[in-house]
Amino acid sequence: MFHRSVSALRLGRLLAFLSLLVCYHGIAQDNVAPAPKPLRVTHILGLQGLKENADGTLTIQAHILRFQPHEGNAAEIQVSSIQDVALGVQDKEVGGMPAAIGRAATPFGGGRVIALFAHKKYEIVTLKYRDSDGGFHGAIFQLIKGQAQLLKSELQAGGAQVIEVEKSAEKTKEGGQS
Amino acid sequence: MKAIKKSSLIVLVPATLLILASSPSQLFAANHPAVAQWDLQVDTVESGDVNIGSDFEVAIYENLLKELAKTKRYGRVFRDGDRNANGVHNLLILKTAVESYTPGSEAKRAVTTVAGATKLKVRSKLSTQEGQVVLERFVSGNVRFFGGNLRATHDLAHNVAKAIEQSTLPVVPVSGAEKVADPASDVTGKSRSEDLGR
Repeated sequence: MFHRSVSALRLGRLLAFLSLLVCYHGIAQDNVAPAPKPLRVTHILGLQGLKENADGTLTIQAHILRFQPHEGNAAEIQVSSIQDVALGVQDKEVGGMPAAIGRAATPFGGGRVIALFAHKKYEIVTLKYRDSDGGFHGAIFQLIKGQAQLLKSELQAGGAQVIEVEKSAEKTKEGGQS
Repeated sequence: MKAIKKSSLIVLVPATLLILASSPSQLFAANHPAVAQWDLQVDTVESGDVNIGSDFEVAIYENLLKELAKTKRYGRVFRDGDRNANGVHNLLILKTAVESYTPGSEAKRAVTTVAGATKLKVRSKLSTQEGQVVLERFVSGNVRFFGGNLRATHDLAHNVAKAIEQSTLPVVPVSGAEKVADPASDVTGKSRSEDLGR
C-alpha cells in the first residue's frame, strides 16, 4: 500500500515536471521570433556605395532591409521608407561576360548553339524608397525563381507600401512598345 | 657617373608620377577656371503611356544620377524630393519622359546577333526653377550585342549626360531674384525646335 502511494507520487511529480517542460517550450517558442532566413541575391544597381552586380544576402530584421555583400560593407534600407515594390522576370546569360567572350570565340557558330542553353530566368525585385532627406532612390535585386514573392510578402509585413505591384509585374513580363 | 644618372632617374620618375597622380584635379583646374556652378535636381522618370517596367524606370533614374555626377559640371546633384534642394537659387531641373521602349532579349541577341535589341528613347528637358527651358532633346539608348537588357539604360544615361555636357548653360544667377540669360541655342548651334525634330 505504502509502495503504491510512493510510486503514484513519483509518477505525479514526473507528469507535473513534463507538463511544465512542455509549457515552457511553448512559451519560449512564442517569445523568440524565428531567425530571418537570408535570401541569396545579386544587387543589380541602386544601393549607394555598393558595386553593381554584387552578390550577397538580403535579410529583414527589426524593420530594416539589409544587404550584405560577400565583400565590403552592408547597405540598409528602412522598410517603412519603401514606397513601392515591383516584381519582374529577366532572362540572363549564365556566366557573365567571360562566358560571352568564350562563346563568341567558339568556331563554326558553336557559340550560338551554346547560347541557346546558357540562359536562365531570374526574378527581379525593384524597390522605390526615400532617404531621410526625402530624396528618391531605387534599388534593383536579382533573385532566383520563386523568391521574389517571398521577399515582397516579408517587406509588406514589415510595413513597406506595395502600391502597384501587380501592374508593374505584369508590365515587365509583357514588355511594351509604343 | 652613369650609375648616378641611372639611380637619380629611378628616384625622379616615380616621384614625378606620384605627384601627378596625387593632384590631377589641381592640374586640370587650370584648364577650367573656377566659375559659379549650377546645381542639378534629377526628377523621377515619367513613363506615361509607355509600357515599361519599374526596373527600367529606376535604372534610368539611378544611371542618370551617376552619369551626371561624373561630368563634374554641377556643384551638387540632388535626387527627386531632396529637401536640401529647397531654396537653392541656382538649381536646374532635369525631367525625363519615356517616349518609346522596345523590349529585347539577351538570348535572342546571343543566338541571332541581329535580333533582340533593347531600345529606349526619352525626352530630356532641362529647365530652371522658373520654367525656362535650357535644353530639350530626344535621346536614345540601346543594347545590341553584349550585356543584359538593363544595359540600355546605362547607354541612355550616358547619352543624356553627354548631350547636357555639350550644351551651353545660362549664367548662374547670383540670387533667386536675378533673371537668367536666354539659353535658346546650344553649342552645336541647333535651336531647340531642331533638337526636338531629330
